[in-house]
Amino acid sequence: MICGLTADERDLLQLELNALPEVMPPRAVWHRIRKQAEAEGLIKQRPLSRPMTWHGGLGLAAAVALAALLIPVMTNTPEPGSATVPPVTGPDNAVQVNALRALMVESRQLESDLRSLPAEPKVRQAGTVATISEIEDRIFAIDYQLNDPAIQMTAEEEEIFWRERVRLMKLLVGLRYAQVQRTAF
Amino acid sequence: MSKFADIQIDPAIVKRAARGDVRAHEIIYRAFAAPVYSICLRFTRVPAQAEDLVQETFIEIMRSIAKFRGEAALGSWIRRIAVSKALMYLRSAWTARGQSLADDWHEVTPGDVASHGVSSRPDVALDLDAALANLPPVSRTIVWLHDVEGFTHKEIAALMGRTESFSKSQLSRAYQRLRPMLATQGEGVRGEGSAVRGY
Repeated sequence: MICGLTADERDLLQLELNALPEVMPPRAVWHRIRKQAEAEGLIKQRPLSRPMTWHGGLGLAAAVALAALLIPVMTNTPEPGSATVPPVTGPDNAVQVNALRALMVESRQLESDLRSLPAEPKVRQAGTVATISEIEDRIFAIDYQLNDPAIQMTAEEEEIFWRERVRLMKLLVGLRYAQVQRTAF
Repeated sequence: MSKFADIQIDPAIVKRAARGDVRAHEIIYRAFAAPVYSICLRFTRVPAQAEDLVQETFIEIMRSIAKFRGEAALGSWIRRIAVSKALMYLRSAWTARGQSLADDWHEVTPGDVASHGVSSRPDVALDLDAALANLPPVSRTIVWLHDVEGFTHKEIAALMGRTESFSKSQLSRAYQRLRPMLATQGEGVRGEGSAVRGY
């Protein structure tokens, strides 16, 4: 051997390199990107009316959860002005509204599953904590957009965002469940 | 492999991003910001420069996403842009100092032992971060591209505008430098009579 590593050394190095943590950039970076993109005409949506905060994000998450909880009621007594359930105006829209409602129900169920899990253990794997935090961050971003009255969404747009929310919620529940399982053993 | 490949985005969101929808772009940003920033930070070691590179990467994504056809995974496409931006930065830094890509081993000094983020094994992460910090930027970049991102020497050579031999020799020198740390980390992990692996 002149300058190579042994197979085990190489495996160990790759293992440790891949285990190095990922880091989120500061929140200001997204605002800088959005500003530049607006200046260059790369994005269409006008800037959001207020900056997202963790506090606000939590409130919005709660608002989305509440909206999902109200679905059965809204299904029976639809409100034309509702921000979360688009009005039914034709067969295509009816299909879309059903799909949207199904996603909301699924999201509500996942929120409920999440709440039913025991509290996070005191000793946690740092990597899992970071991943959970990242997923929560992404869910907050979606909730913010779903709840911002300044943003007018079509039913199709809402469906896309709700589908993404459900997907992330499934990931979150899966991770939290795995966390609980590890603690149990 | 890196975590880029593990991140899935609904194709409908990608389509909306291609139409310039800021909300779709924000979702893509939130999904990929951490791996993009991490790769830039590993290459440059300077948070402010890494942040600038994140900005350049996502602006490039916004400019080009309409051309993204989905033949490759979105994560691979974004990783390619991030790597390209980071290498461009490194090239310009070397150019500004009038140096070539090959001759930066002589200026290796003990770097800042700053561990960023959260690791499942902080002690190991700190040691490895320190060991990586002590490598010259080119070698550190090649180690990362080869051993974490899974690029071949041929691909690295093409990205850096160098030969495959250059990539191999830089990796070899980096391994030599990292070896003592592996000896410490690997006690109890390695078996007897390990074979030397070609790379």
